[in-house]
Amino acid sequence: MPVRPALRTRFQEELRTLEDQALGALDMVVSTLDRALEALSHQDVELASIVIHDDDRIDGRFLEVHQGILSLLALQAPVASDLRVVAALLHTIKHAERMGDQCVNIAKLIPLSGHEPPRNKQLMELIEQMGVLARSEVKQAKQAFALRDVEVAEDLVRQDQRINKLNRDAFKLGVEIGTDEDTREWAMHMMLVARALERIGDNAVDIGEQVAFVVTGLFREFSDASRSAQHDS
Amino acid sequence: MAARAGAQREVFPRASMGSRVADLLFRAAMLFAVFVGFVALAAILFDTVSDGAGRLSTDFITNFPSKVIPENSGIQSALVGTLYLMFLTAFMVVPLGIATAIYLEEYADRNKWFNRLIEVNIQNLAAVPSVVYGILGLAFIVRGPLGLGRVLLAGAITLALLVLPVVIIVSREAIRAVPPSVREGSLALGATQWQTIWKQVLPGSIAGIATGVILALSRAIGETAPLLLIGAAASPRFNPSGLLEPFTALPIQIFVWTQDSDRSFVAAAAGAILVLMVILLLMNSVAIYLRNRYEQKW
Amino acid sequence: MVEKVTDIDETADAFSRARSEGNVAEEPAAAGRSDQNGARMREPIFDCHDVNVHYGDKLAVRNVNMALGQNAITALIGPSGCGKSTFIRCLNRMNDLIPSARVDGKVVYHGEDLYGADIDPVSVRKRIGMVFQKPNPFPKSIYDNIAFGPRIMGTKGNMDEIVERALKRGALWEDVKDRLKDNAFGMSGGQQQRLCIARALALEPDVLLMDEPCSALDPISTGRIEDLMEELKQNYSIVIVTHNMQQAARVSDMTAFFTVELDGDTGHRTGAVVEYDRTDKIFQNPSDKRTEDYVTGKVG
Repeated sequence: MPVRPALRTRFQEELRTLEDQALGALDMVVSTLDRALEALSHQDVELASIVIHDDDRIDGRFLEVHQGILSLLALQAPVASDLRVVAALLHTIKHAERMGDQCVNIAKLIPLSGHEPPRNKQLMELIEQMGVLARSEVKQAKQAFALRDVEVAEDLVRQDQRINKLNRDAFKLGVEIGTDEDTREWAMHMMLVARALERIGDNAVDIGEQVAFVVTGLFREFSDASRSAQHDS
Repeated sequence: MAARAGAQREVFPRASMGSRVADLLFRAAMLFAVFVGFVALAAILFDTVSDGAGRLSTDFITNFPSKVIPENSGIQSALVGTLYLMFLTAFMVVPLGIATAIYLEEYADRNKWFNRLIEVNIQNLAAVPSVVYGILGLAFIVRGPLGLGRVLLAGAITLALLVLPVVIIVSREAIRAVPPSVREGSLALGATQWQTIWKQVLPGSIAGIATGVILALSRAIGETAPLLLIGAAASPRFNPSGLLEPFTALPIQIFVWTQDSDRSFVAAAAGAILVLMVILLLMNSVAIYLRNRYEQKW
Repeated sequence: MVEKVTDIDETADAFSRARSEGNVAEEPAAAGRSDQNGARMREPIFDCHDVNVHYGDKLAVRNVNMALGQNAITALIGPSGCGKSTFIRCLNRMNDLIPSARVDGKVVYHGEDLYGADIDPVSVRKRIGMVFQKPNPFPKSIYDNIAFGPRIMGTKGNMDEIVERALKRGALWEDVKDRLKDNAFGMSGGQQQRLCIARALALEPDVLLMDEPCSALDPISTGRIEDLMEELKQNYSIVIVTHNMQQAARVSDMTAFFTVELDGDTGHRTGAVVEYDRTDKIFQNPSDKRTEDYVTGKVG
């Protein structure tokens, strides 16, 4: 008896392509974030402006995936797990686009803080640590989705708690930064950077929730990631 | 909620006594009817067999009829005549009948008046008593325009005319049984109408046509009235030597022997009846076999 | 906000390159010539001009003007009685078989009008194949079914090869290669329909017309045939009538929506094309409200 060929190959391929595109957007976010963080630590204004312009690519990818999803829904009527994947991709690409915007926010803050080296090493280190964590959260979110691994997705909560703690520490540092006006201005900008990084982390956790939805069919908020008792702001 | 006692209603009402009795009576009446028919046939068969079985022998078949010595009478000329008639009739009726059926089913436009006229006529002709065909044959084929005389060909033509309507009707049924989707499929592949008929419709209906033709022929060879009127010979001591020669057939010979005042021909007649019945039985069996084996189930 | 990116466009058809602005643009599409954007179209396989079909004195299909694409799948959808089957039968002159039918207008195929005075319908049908709603294999062997067309056409050449090639193209070879002499009626419904497709392909047409080919089949067979159509699209042009909208959405590149017009005075029902456009436009953002009502199921 010959092997029965798979049915609806075109549809399956289109779905796979769509997923690749959406997850590819997360890769784009990682590289954008890298550049934004580098621009930040080296006060590189040119790099910052490249980051701002490159966000068009992420936005473009968002439109592509969005259109692809609409097309797939209209023409192929996916059901069951296929439908959950499509819905999850819609959320995911939106989160990716938001993460891209957060990187732009970071990049926009760089020229404002002047061309001088960071005013407070400690604060800068905190920010850099947050950057590293945010980056790894994004990568982990992508991996969780690609592998449909709920445990990896739930682990994102743990990492995000660390970012949130660092955020609170950075806030405390900022409050007690001293009286020098330039330093205080710089610290305010860094607070906004920290905020942006923390938001990137939250978006990654949300992607993790989508992974759980795809696998289990149930949508639940991962406990406490963005609803911690010591909610920062 | 469970119904309270007293308001109890059955889910399925049981059949009443009256309807059950009616059912039984009906079945009994049907069985009785079958029984009557069966008994009548069995009686005829029994009677014939008891009269004629004794006479059956190879001599009976190879001898010619003898007016003088009943015991030596045989059916050779009648049997041969019947077989010739059967083949000649088939030869004439099959192409004509099938061609007419094809015309009526595949080509004729039902809206045209002459086509409707043809259809009505065929239905009527199938119901005309066979003796009328005899008169027709006598008037137009034996005498009249064709003037062939009282010969084999005249008998065959008359029988052909007799069964032609039946063959047409049966062939039409068989052709009609081929679903239009087969024709559509063939035409959609670029076949012409004739190619479709020849390669799809006819092959698909041939079993039905063959069955019908055999049944029609078996009717033909049992017909007595037309051949009587045509003037088949009585007890000839020769086989027909050509198409335009005198002939006889089993039904005629049977008739002649039963009319004979000499009662000793009764056994010979019964024997001939048995032979005729065997032939008919064989033909019908062949028809049924063909139908079961080759019938196309759409 | 970035400039709209190019359309996600699966098909290779040139004439679907139209909307370079993305699918959000509102384009008033007329029910008529496809592709109002003036994008260059590959030469269409059928160019219909003012096609009208009458049964007796009743107008069954009114004024069809459409260009059907090469190497594309065009779906004809619409409620029952809207004339889509009548129209598709115009494309291979099968309406000639109905005595009261009359077709007016031109259907241009490879530069020739199919209804031209000296065109023989029999030769039209050899180049334009058709598959029907209920599978209709001949009561012959599988081999003879396939060979019927080429034999009629007098094709020279190795019949075994011709049969094998046709069965392979119809995605049936693997299933039946060891039982070519078996009667075709012994196959399942889905296999019979693929046989009918292979039978049509044996004549090497360049068009395959399909009149509701899957409506008598189960979902798995339907899926197989839809996948087959995807493959065939590369070498053939396909026009499919379907009352299953989801099927039209799944497989076709272009979709034409027919509607039924009821003449208030006479009560006659006439079919007409309302909208003819790319499938993804018809199902995401149709231009005509009647189309929208039909595809969303508000109106039967």
